Amino acid sequence: MIADNPWVDGLARMGIITAAVPLAVIVLTYVERKVLGRLQMRLGPMRVGPYGTLQSVADTVKLLTKEDLRPQTADRWTFELAPFVVVVPVFMALVTLPFTADLFVRNLGLGLFYIVAVSGVSIVGFVMAGWGSDNKYALLGGVRAAAQLISYEIPLVMAVLAVAMIGQSLNLVELVEGQGRVPFVVWQPLAFLIFLVAGLAELYRQPFDIPVAESEVVGGPLVEYSGIRWSMFQMAEVANMVLISVLASLLFLGGWNWPLGNGAGAGLQVPLIVVKASMFILLFMWLRGTLPRLRIDQMMAFCWQVLLPFAFLQIIINGWVLVYGWPDWVLGALSGMAALAAGYLTYRMARQAMEPVSSRLHRVGSVL
Amino acid sequence: MLGVFRAIKTTVSAALRKPVTVQYPKAKKELPHRSRGLPVLLWDFEVDEPFCTGCQVCARYCPVDCMTVTMQDNRKFAEGKSERKKIVHRFYIDYARCMRCDICVEVCNFDAIVMNNTWEGVELSRYDRQGLVMNLDDLLQQSQSGELNDPFREPMGIAHSGWAPKVRSQEEKAEVAAKEEGGQG
Amino acid sequence: MTTEYRVPREKELETIDVNVNVGPQHPATHGVFRMVLTVDGEQVVDLDPVIGYLHRGAEKLSENCDYRQAIGYQDRTEYLGQFNAELCYVLAVEKLAGIEPPERAEYIRVILTELNRVASHHMFMGAFGSDVGLFGTSFMYSFRDREMILDLFEEVTGERMMYAYFRPGGVGWDVPEDFRERCREVLAVVRRGIDDIDGLMTENEVIMARCRGLSPVTPEEAINWGVTGPMLRATGLKHDLRRAEPYSIYDRFEFEIPTGTQGDVYDRYLVRLEEMRQSVRIAEQALEQMPDGPIMAEGLKRTLRLPEGEVYMRNETPRGEYGIYLISRGADKPYRLKIRSPAFSNLSALKAMCVGTYVADTIINLGSFDIVLCEVDR
Repeated sequence: MIADNPWVDGLARMGIITAAVPLAVIVLTYVERKVLGRLQMRLGPMRVGPYGTLQSVADTVKLLTKEDLRPQTADRWTFELAPFVVVVPVFMALVTLPFTADLFVRNLGLGLFYIVAVSGVSIVGFVMAGWGSDNKYALLGGVRAAAQLISYEIPLVMAVLAVAMIGQSLNLVELVEGQGRVPFVVWQPLAFLIFLVAGLAELYRQPFDIPVAESEVVGGPLVEYSGIRWSMFQMAEVANMVLISVLASLLFLGGWNWPLGNGAGAGLQVPLIVVKASMFILLFMWLRGTLPRLRIDQMMAFCWQVLLPFAFLQIIINGWVLVYGWPDWVLGALSGMAALAAGYLTYRMARQAMEPVSSRLHRVGSVL
Repeated sequence: MLGVFRAIKTTVSAALRKPVTVQYPKAKKELPHRSRGLPVLLWDFEVDEPFCTGCQVCARYCPVDCMTVTMQDNRKFAEGKSERKKIVHRFYIDYARCMRCDICVEVCNFDAIVMNNTWEGVELSRYDRQGLVMNLDDLLQQSQSGELNDPFREPMGIAHSGWAPKVRSQEEKAEVAAKEEGGQG
Repeated sequence: MTTEYRVPREKELETIDVNVNVGPQHPATHGVFRMVLTVDGEQVVDLDPVIGYLHRGAEKLSENCDYRQAIGYQDRTEYLGQFNAELCYVLAVEKLAGIEPPERAEYIRVILTELNRVASHHMFMGAFGSDVGLFGTSFMYSFRDREMILDLFEEVTGERMMYAYFRPGGVGWDVPEDFRERCREVLAVVRRGIDDIDGLMTENEVIMARCRGLSPVTPEEAINWGVTGPMLRATGLKHDLRRAEPYSIYDRFEFEIPTGTQGDVYDRYLVRLEEMRQSVRIAEQALEQMPDGPIMAEGLKRTLRLPEGEVYMRNETPRGEYGIYLISRGADKPYRLKIRSPAFSNLSALKAMCVGTYVADTIINLGSFDIVLCEVDR
């Protein structure tokens, strides 16, 4: 409790989050442009500031000073409120993320449940943006966004649920403290992979960036936005990436706990968690530069025919292990085998999508 | 899934290579000798006047009609300092129209116009389209200041086929001059 | 052959078809090209292409230019395979006038033309990757190698894109002395670049899942639609004008003609990838065999006047069969210069190929045609 006063305490914590998240977004947009530049054998931003470090600041200033446009026939309140509906839930979810056992803004007993529930609200924002823009491209993109984000929410939640089953708690701090000796990724590789893939789809990044496909629907639901509203969408995307990365490192890689242990002190634990989250962020940026995008029906087929059954399978395996009291390595072995089976099914699905078909229209059929 | 790993391997190997970016305008790539910029006129330092005599051949052969040329009597010829009877009076090139096809350079009988192979020949930003219409002083400025020190002067096009402009030698000129005087007198 | 364009669908829910205008300003249409799609959900039901946004009257302008001035317009018509277009025009003029260019000029022309084909296919690789969704990576790789080629062209001709280098009777001026070494350097870099693009895109499962089986075309359909070039070869037909009607000195080189099996989008990509390798092979052979000597035919007049007559010359550009039909009435300007543009003929098959697929597939399909809008509109 800061200054022993609940009001000051609340305001101060709100201030911390409001200051920290845009700062993280500014840094990460610069890092992304540099990383993508490196992958593409070029330099990235170099002009603004030493080695281009002030580029994001310049971009922010530019976006904030732009004219706030609104199409005349757009549905006014839907159009104008959509960015808020997309951005605010991400902030709300970031509030409950702990960085060490003591370093958080507010830790909830129902932390995981709260995060998952609140993240789902962003989807409404995309549909609002898609409809409210009065633009057929936005409508196409909004519909795609709704389909993708809702579908991939389910395996994501299942993977998180699997971790909660094993950790026997929904409190993030307790989950991390339970991973002192062995991180959960060893016992549940399948849940880890499902979390990563579904998380990538929730972030609408390559290879799942159909809603904001740049070369087809020119930005999807975001096509009519400019200035501050656009920067809010971008901030939501990057902050969401931070959320997923930190969650992955907390839930699966042991957070600040493994391998240093609980008593290592904040000076070592915070860099440790930052390093783990950065690994995931780097992976996401790498995949963005390397993989093209899937088609909508292929993506939906992948979710419903591969990710969802295996997410259920992981929960069932967890259930067996908990009820019958099997030792941990059984869990790890079963999960690993299921992960290999999922990989094989994905391979089969990819091969089957390449079969030439006689008619001009081809859909992805069933894999199973 | 192996194809995806091969793609990742390619990007990894690309990321470890040195980037090939040249950070223009702080660092500029070296333009090759033949680089074709926009046309400029040459200055004859020996006689202190342009090579161009205003004969309008280049203007006639230009595919896009971007040049306007007029000629005048050369005062220096009357004073005996130069061998050119006529000299250019006005010369306008509209750089916005020029398509840099090199035909004006190829047909010029006096080797007076060349393509500007320096960076100034290609860096042409103006706020107004009218600023791209160059007059005689603008066109001579590059050569007069000495920046255009090595233009591309190899024989071009039809010259390789054996065609060359008729150039009279000194004896022939003396013969022609004598005949004219004999005809008059 | 009757083609049923409308895909039957069961009506359980009352829906309407939406008109989506993939307009002239769009990041994916490779230029100012407009398609009016009628879309049922995600599936394309009808497609109406609209062209003409880049019509600049190149053919009419060429009627006011003599034969040397018109070369600049040929460059600008086919702005990715410029040397190929210049070559076709110059060969047409030479055919009508009966001029024989010297050997060295022919070899220089072939080397530069094949390198230009590689550069044009590089542009295709970049654009194709960005259509499929690679965020600019394929663009950067292919443009890096294209820069090397364009740097070489700048050393030879002075320009990076609009060369105006070929002349009727030979080439404009001789290549620089270090041409052979520079060319070998560039070919080495290009070979490695092709392998890079190969590794990035060919076996990428996502690209195969997007492009394999997408609008396959049979050879009969392709011939009926007038499709030429890599799209025709992707259907399985081994037809390349450099082999079928050898022009210039192409009969002296050994190269293979890559073909595909089904004519789908992935095959078109593979055919172009392999064509780049074969072009490098031709350029290497030409570099070995290039003799010294004059670079322009002897005894040409300053202003070329062609005898009366007409000629049709065609050659194989990166897009397909490019043709120049030249009518001369004895003056120093052509009476009529008609360009047969491969991209225009290929584009007429767009509707038949795209109806029934998804919107996302239409974009990739259009990208696989590799159109050059200036050629389509002239």
